[in-house]
Amino acid sequence: MSTNTAIPTVAERNEQALSAERKSVIRKSKFFSFPTLLLTPILVLFVLLNVIPTIWLIGFSFYRYSLQSPDAPRPACVDGPCIPLIVIPTNIQISPTRQLEIIIPSVPPIDNYIKIFNDADIWGSFGRTLTFVILAVTIQVILGVLLGFLFWGSARMPGRRLALTLLFTPMVITPVASALFWRLLYDPTFGAINFLITTFGGQTINFLTNNEWAFPAVLFVDIWMWTPFMILMTLAALGSVPKAELEAAEVDRMSWWRKLRFVIWPHGKFILMLGILLRTIDAFKTTDLVLTMTRGGPGNITDLIGLRLYRYAFASLNIGFSSALAVLLLITAIAFTSIYLWVLNARRRSEEEG
Amino acid sequence: MSMKNKPIQLSRRQFLRGSALIMGAGLVSACAAPATPAPQASGPSTAPSGTGNPLAGTQGNEMAGKTIEMSFAVIAGWPPSQAPIELFPDFAAFAKEKYGYTVTARKTEAPFGELFQKIAPTLAAKSQEYNIMVSDSQWLGALAEPGWIVRADDVYAVVPELDIEPFSSLVRNTYQIYPDGSNQRWGFPQMPDTQGLFVRIDILEKEAENYKRETGNEMPLTYEDLSKLTVQQWEPIWKYLNGKNGMGAVAIQQSKEYDFFSCAFHPYVYATGGDIWDPATGNVVGVLNTDANAKMLEYFRSLQQYQPAGSQDFGIGSVIDLFVQEKVVTAFQWLAVGLFMIPPELQGKAIAIPHPKIEFEGGPEEVIGAMGGQPWVLNKFNDDDRTRAAVDFLKWWYTDETQRKFLAKGGLPWSKKGIENPLFEGAPPPWFKPFVYMLEEGRSRDFWHLPEYAELLAIQQEAYNGYAARQFNDAKSVLDSIAAKQQALLFEKGRTSTPVPDALKNVQPK
Repeated sequence: MSTNTAIPTVAERNEQALSAERKSVIRKSKFFSFPTLLLTPILVLFVLLNVIPTIWLIGFSFYRYSLQSPDAPRPACVDGPCIPLIVIPTNIQISPTRQLEIIIPSVPPIDNYIKIFNDADIWGSFGRTLTFVILAVTIQVILGVLLGFLFWGSARMPGRRLALTLLFTPMVITPVASALFWRLLYDPTFGAINFLITTFGGQTINFLTNNEWAFPAVLFVDIWMWTPFMILMTLAALGSVPKAELEAAEVDRMSWWRKLRFVIWPHGKFILMLGILLRTIDAFKTTDLVLTMTRGGPGNITDLIGLRLYRYAFASLNIGFSSALAVLLLITAIAFTSIYLWVLNARRRSEEEG
Repeated sequence: MSMKNKPIQLSRRQFLRGSALIMGAGLVSACAAPATPAPQASGPSTAPSGTGNPLAGTQGNEMAGKTIEMSFAVIAGWPPSQAPIELFPDFAAFAKEKYGYTVTARKTEAPFGELFQKIAPTLAAKSQEYNIMVSDSQWLGALAEPGWIVRADDVYAVVPELDIEPFSSLVRNTYQIYPDGSNQRWGFPQMPDTQGLFVRIDILEKEAENYKRETGNEMPLTYEDLSKLTVQQWEPIWKYLNGKNGMGAVAIQQSKEYDFFSCAFHPYVYATGGDIWDPATGNVVGVLNTDANAKMLEYFRSLQQYQPAGSQDFGIGSVIDLFVQEKVVTAFQWLAVGLFMIPPELQGKAIAIPHPKIEFEGGPEEVIGAMGGQPWVLNKFNDDDRTRAAVDFLKWWYTDETQRKFLAKGGLPWSKKGIENPLFEGAPPPWFKPFVYMLEEGRSRDFWHLPEYAELLAIQQEAYNGYAARQFNDAKSVLDSIAAKQQALLFEKGRTSTPVPDALKNVQPK
């Protein structure tokens, strides 16, 4: 037996390695490998609890349907004759007298969407919500970053742990409880804040019923609740900066600004951006706070879009119309999420490019 | 390779194809028309069956030995709707003794604005989650039109003793009938309610001398004298009292919540001879947005000058707090919460009078208050046993003994017989006299019982509250915008044949 034939050449070894890699790639490309099968239960739940309701929501958005409708939903027709329907009979018996019919509008009836685009009140709520989001997130980021740096730079400060715990408390309280608590504090007759103001000779302020004070008063509570989250994200971002690089910067006697720009920012920006985007999405959905504090009032001054949607869906039971609005809000949230994913991937992209 | 070692593999393409198929099927299902409910698919049978018609309640011993759990939906923060639950042990004893079954109660509660939202989805799902519900009068159409509740007439047909003669037609029109003007009854009166003015008579007495010195007028101090005053005649008294002893002169509900502003303001609209809509034609435009009503809205807001700070957010609960904690001298309030407005420590110090009349230029001094109060409604989807138990509950509820206990807990009567209850002879509670006065024919009025009530209410509450908070300052434009939006809604729902006039399209409050 010749040893020459038993020992593969370098070229053969390369070929074998390539072949194994190809097989591995092919194996990886099979979606349902054993680990993926382990995920099946959660995927099934995801489809049942998330995907199907979303499809259902989209379906309802094309219908003029209220929970109080005694009849089946009617397609939402644009002005003029109703959009023609395709009716597909089936053999499925759904009641003693009726078989299931699948009704599909031949063109999507978008009357609900047209109504939303023509509704000045909804646009007003959208505008207020955007103002709320921009102001709340901006202030929370500024305060959160400043306080984050303060706590980062004062590791040996006595009582630091207690201070941090107290600072994070608003974030962990249920928003409804916080709202109720602040509603009582703001009360012009029985509230502690007005008691202090009048004790020191000031005039009573109607925080929640004055059209100039109501919006800032609600905004303040949101800032109080969520600034701790931005502190947490800032501390996490600062924690991600390698100590060695910070020490090297110290050795190099870099100025504070240059250290921030060239050492801290490149490492911390991803986590901080994630925090900003999570807060943006969350602030956009704010409903519980305004529902409890002002019910969107006085008038419509604090009427955010989430609250309006809640009213259309659960007070008016107008399922078709509120589904259409929910779809639009979903698209907006997806837009925010896309930005979030883009930022998350930015790190990988920069690494690949670098 | 054995089968055991072979991994089950599905390519990504196959998976995506499968997913697309599932999603497509879901989308088609979403677009598919749900089944129209089959007639008599559930709910109590209306024809007598082998064991008797459930709408007649328990007959003989057909329920003997059974155990029933009944579920009630009641209004949170509204004591009159809690009282029946407190009295429920008496009903359990009644059912055990008379019919031989054991019954327990489960209570679910939510505030005025949220209770309907809580019960409606369960009824839409044909659930018997709530067997008996306290409904606000405005919800009657919303509950009756989709066929969610038992028609009271069907019960009266087999249990005539429940068909009790009311004190006035207001009871029937407010708590029972839908559609308005028809003879169809759906609700069973539970607690009637009208509006009044609660007055701290002790403070008026204390200030009487100073008031005379300052204004030269006598301070009215008796029920009769105070009842004669119009709102406009109250103004100099409120002006004098405001700020004295750290108290506001008057509290009026103007909150955005539920119907609080609307119910407080509507008497001012009715005083002009006007209304908020025309039930006959379904029109709002031309009825609500009149110059006379705009003038009244301005006047109503001007009364804020006599109220404590934050009046734009006053609701039922806050007015009780303000009055009981000595922050206001007088307060407009529902008479049904009399027991809470005048607790034992205020007895002898406070009285209640009818809602004062309102003067209107060129018109008679008039008061037509807003009706409050609630009926019971029975879930159409109750099974036969629960329907029997629910009707038995009503039979027990309307007995003289139960009504006496209810009245002793601060309840108010609605039947002729109830008003003549010996409990009210001699020294009735101070809110009883104005209540009976306001319940007389034509003295109070309810508004819409339409299924669209929630949307109609949201439209006007937002605009009115904005006006109260000075977000808007032109009363006519506020009424125009409400009228236009409500007219558009009613037109879309087919309640009126008149569309919104071009001049009012896109009108916004200023």
